[in-house]
Amino acid sequence: MAHLAHYKQAHPLPMKVTHWVNLCCMALLIFTGFLIHFPFWAALTGVARGVHVFCGIILVLNCIVRIVLSFLLTSSPTGGTRNMVRDFKTYLPQADNKHQLIPWIKYYLFIKKDHPLSAKLGVPQKLSYLFVCLLIFIMGYTGFCLWVPTASWTFFAAGTSLVGGMMSMRIIHYFLMFVFICFSMIHIYLVFIEGTANAANMLAGKEHGGLVYDPERHCIIGEDHSVDAH
Amino acid sequence: MVTEATSPEFLAKLEARGVSRRSFMKLCGSLAVAAGLSELAAPRVAAAIENSVIGAESGKLFPVIWIEGASCTGCTESFAQGDAPDPAYIVLEMISLNYCETLSAAAGWSMEEAKEQTIEAGNYILIYEGAVLEGWDGQALRVANEPGTDILAHAAKNANAVVALGSCAVNGGWMAAHPNSANALGVQGFLKKQGIDTPVINIPGCPANPEWVTSVLVDVLLVGQLPELTSENKPKVTFNQTVHDNCQRRGHFENGEFVYAFGTPEEAAGYCLYPMGCRGPMVKANCGIVRWNRRRSWCVESGGPCIGCCVANPDNPGENWVETNTPFRARFRDLRIGGAMVQPEAIAWTVTGILAAALVVHGFGMKKAGRTDGGAPFEKEREWDMKHPNESIGIYTLDDNSKGGN
Amino acid sequence: MARSIIDPVTRIEGHLRVEMEVDGGVVTDAWVSGGCFRGMELVVQDRTPEDAAHIVQRICGVCPVSHTHASSIAAEAAYGIVIPNQARIIRNLVEGGQFLHSHILWLYTLAALDYVNPLNALNANVGKAYDLMEAAGTSCNTDLKSLMSTLTKFANNGQLSIFSGGWFLDGLAPEAFKLDPEADLICTAHYLEALNMQAKASEICGLIGGKMPHIMTLVPGGTAFVPTEEKLDELYALVRELRDWIDSTMLPDTKIIAAAYPEALGFGRGCGRYVAWGVFQRPNFEMADRYMPSGVVYTNGELRLEDVDEAAIKEYVGHSWYVGDSDLNPREGVTDPLYTEYYVAGTEHEENGHMVGTVNDRYTWSKGPSYNGECMEAGPFARVLAAYLRGGEKNQYVVNSLDKLMADLGLTLPQLQSTLGRVAARQVECSYIAHLMVDWVDELIAALKEGDSEYFRAPEHLTGSGTGFWEAPRGALYHTEHVDNGRITGYQIIIPTTWNIAPRNAEGVRGPMEQALIGTPVTNVDAPINALRTVHSFDPCTACAVHVSEPATGKHFETVTSPWGVR
Repeated sequence: MAHLAHYKQAHPLPMKVTHWVNLCCMALLIFTGFLIHFPFWAALTGVARGVHVFCGIILVLNCIVRIVLSFLLTSSPTGGTRNMVRDFKTYLPQADNKHQLIPWIKYYLFIKKDHPLSAKLGVPQKLSYLFVCLLIFIMGYTGFCLWVPTASWTFFAAGTSLVGGMMSMRIIHYFLMFVFICFSMIHIYLVFIEGTANAANMLAGKEHGGLVYDPERHCIIGEDHSVDAH
Repeated sequence: MVTEATSPEFLAKLEARGVSRRSFMKLCGSLAVAAGLSELAAPRVAAAIENSVIGAESGKLFPVIWIEGASCTGCTESFAQGDAPDPAYIVLEMISLNYCETLSAAAGWSMEEAKEQTIEAGNYILIYEGAVLEGWDGQALRVANEPGTDILAHAAKNANAVVALGSCAVNGGWMAAHPNSANALGVQGFLKKQGIDTPVINIPGCPANPEWVTSVLVDVLLVGQLPELTSENKPKVTFNQTVHDNCQRRGHFENGEFVYAFGTPEEAAGYCLYPMGCRGPMVKANCGIVRWNRRRSWCVESGGPCIGCCVANPDNPGENWVETNTPFRARFRDLRIGGAMVQPEAIAWTVTGILAAALVVHGFGMKKAGRTDGGAPFEKEREWDMKHPNESIGIYTLDDNSKGGN
Repeated sequence: MARSIIDPVTRIEGHLRVEMEVDGGVVTDAWVSGGCFRGMELVVQDRTPEDAAHIVQRICGVCPVSHTHASSIAAEAAYGIVIPNQARIIRNLVEGGQFLHSHILWLYTLAALDYVNPLNALNANVGKAYDLMEAAGTSCNTDLKSLMSTLTKFANNGQLSIFSGGWFLDGLAPEAFKLDPEADLICTAHYLEALNMQAKASEICGLIGGKMPHIMTLVPGGTAFVPTEEKLDELYALVRELRDWIDSTMLPDTKIIAAAYPEALGFGRGCGRYVAWGVFQRPNFEMADRYMPSGVVYTNGELRLEDVDEAAIKEYVGHSWYVGDSDLNPREGVTDPLYTEYYVAGTEHEENGHMVGTVNDRYTWSKGPSYNGECMEAGPFARVLAAYLRGGEKNQYVVNSLDKLMADLGLTLPQLQSTLGRVAARQVECSYIAHLMVDWVDELIAALKEGDSEYFRAPEHLTGSGTGFWEAPRGALYHTEHVDNGRITGYQIIIPTTWNIAPRNAEGVRGPMEQALIGTPVTNVDAPINALRTVHSFDPCTACAVHVSEPATGKHFETVTSPWGVR
């Protein structure tokens, strides 16, 4: 058992909600996106566009809300602790992550045997989350470029003509969806490959015992199984 | 009286061609008689014919020059098949079509002369059909022993406005599609390069619908102004909504009733052609409203999915309808990678498939390494810290009062 | 010796220059130059045969249906498809609509102004004109009196519009226009009616194909058009209206013109060899058994017919603006376009107010196709000859019509090998097709009644080669393609006008139109009206004619289109 203890402080309730919204929106967007691209389930196509646009707008708004929340709320900087810091700091470089990008990659490539020490988010994880945040905005923009009511707004029309017309914009929007799909696949894979405790904490708030980490000393200092259910 | 009505220059021109003044006036006399006028009216008809060659200086018809560039004549054909108003009315009672390679009675020198005189007089509209070819210094298109590019530049300079008719004239059309071997481009792009600032009205379509041409003529001749244009200089009234917006099969789209193959019962029922690659949702034109061939039918009504022939970015020959929309039956255009044509979907699914396979392989690796049950044990100390003990970020030496677990 | 040049040749499709040496009032040498290069075969490279069938139509706005049809036949051969019977009939109808459109357009809008002087119509006596109409047996759908007042109003306004610079105007060649004012008035009336009727014929194509030019429903595998009752009753009415108008107007008018211009039988003979690939499929899909059958016709003493052999076709580029001087079967065609000057440098000088010079060795964008090493003429005359010589029950209509026409005009078959003969033969075909159209609509309805409802078949395989031998209204059309896994790896087109406006061949023998021009009388070198009549009798379609072959390994095009469409 090499997990850090999973405490509720890692993901306070508002973050859980925005995560849930992200999950639902992305799943629906991908499904309805395919349906709009090619009507393989004809009966749903009428609804699909409405759902797609709705989820798209919600996803972008949710992303904005999540960013604002990260400045307002606190969460624990690492696993295995109930200490709290401003949430946005957990998305930016932390001392706990320092010099750990290469070890992470080596670990996943089986070159390194031991699990790297890290903050709540590992280095590749942090980078990919920031990237997804950016991606949501780009996706929203390309989506509005394609949506008839907004497509003719100068702000969106300019982008469409920049990339070479509606067809190019559609292809870009479609490709970016696959980036989401690939991200989600990796995300879900990594969440579950070493056990479900992490996901149970994120989605349901279930605490789970494990190693204790000291954010002051940036290292593991013991173990805590007092929260485990018996 | 006779000499007053007939300009000396004109008579000199006639005489240079070996026509005596007398024989000219005789023709005029017979025309006048035929027209129900007396012989005395001959000078009036003479003046009329004289001016008619010059075109612009008198008469109530608006002079128009219609130049065939690198065209298939399809837009002329299309124009000649309209009926509201029909072409005979247009060329006899609305405009004076002084130069039109397909309809003009003249040929050769006399043809070029009629054009030259119209250009000199000014105050005319130039309709240019077909692409501009810059290949071989414009010699890819040769008319009257001149490169087509010179002809366009010359005729456009003096015009009130240029109507770029058809997708080829807007941005090169299919000729601009890969590999664009004749260096095709559109009128607007060409004139910009030449520094000619005559306003351009772009009417795309392959061919352009006759209604679109006449609506512009109505604006210019009856309303007396250029039509309101989009950012691509296309008439707003025609090119501001998608084909999809005004499609008669739109209801079937909303109901989720689709045609998935030609010759199926769904097709006979007139269902939506979207899965057949119909480009209606991406192409702006009012085809579904004006319809074609005297409103007899139009592409989608006849069972042909829209192939987006109105896609034409006047500033970018590469964004032509063939390059943008082939393969017509697929939902996306092909991407040209090296020498191969690839569907974006194929790339996307391949990359995703490879990733999924890689994750599965990785998963087996993780299992074999014993990491699936809670992961590998944590490192005791960060690698970097071990190499740089003086700058280490972690404090790993646990003193006795370390708290926590058992 | 004087130079006579027609450039641009108007009332054709595309850009054509005709340059002639005139000596003693007749043409002694001629150069015909196709003026535009567009590069169609390169564009369809790497695209799908379905795309190609749509794109190649854009070669020509007058005969798009023939191109998409020939392309689809080639694709079906490559794909191993035999199209359903319903699709065959519908395709015949849409092709027929285009033929009628093209032939009406040609006779009135394009060619008539070489023979008819609409301004002379102002001198007509309306009463006499009606008498002449009756005597000539031609139709009377126009109120001639109101037409006179429209023309008068037009003349009084003083702008000549499309008649500006017409050769019937004083100072050009008015003496060459020989119709009586009354005949001019009748033909002017029909000129205007024809503008309406050619559009009606196109409505058939629009009805089946969605729009015309450039139809949408003729697809490799069959047709995307499925007839409904509403469409059928429109078709039923349209084909009858057209048949009646064509029968009652075009043949009688041709006879009026032929009677006034007998000299046009004396020039414009051409090479005397003809190719026809055949058009309009019967249920057996045999080339030699089509409604207008295939055939290669020679005149050696008497006219003789042979069957078509694809291997005999070659294209020569030694006198055209392409690299090299290869003479290859189009399936192996290798070509690089390369413009060199039209006139030999330094020879340009002013003559009669115009710049002329010595024409270069290479003087056209058009290539020189040959059959068994010889240039050949293509067109409705070639088709009518092929049908006439094949004879038999299936070609009875053509045999009878041509015999009757020759009897009416007092002509023999060799006399038809002339400018006027081409004009007349086209009308025979036009009337035949107009009658067939009515039959085909009935055939379609009968098949529907039988419960036939198959319109489209999917490919059997995606790799193969195929050739579409077909006919455009103006002559033999050939499309061939290689398809590899649904993508075109080679595409070749030989277009009717390419046969007709071919330049000299390797031995220096002139092309068919050049040969036809030799001996044509020219009195005014600035308005060589008989030469123009001869050129028009071929119904040239030069935008079609100029094309390139499949690029070989060494293609040198500077412009490359990026995947995102940004050059």
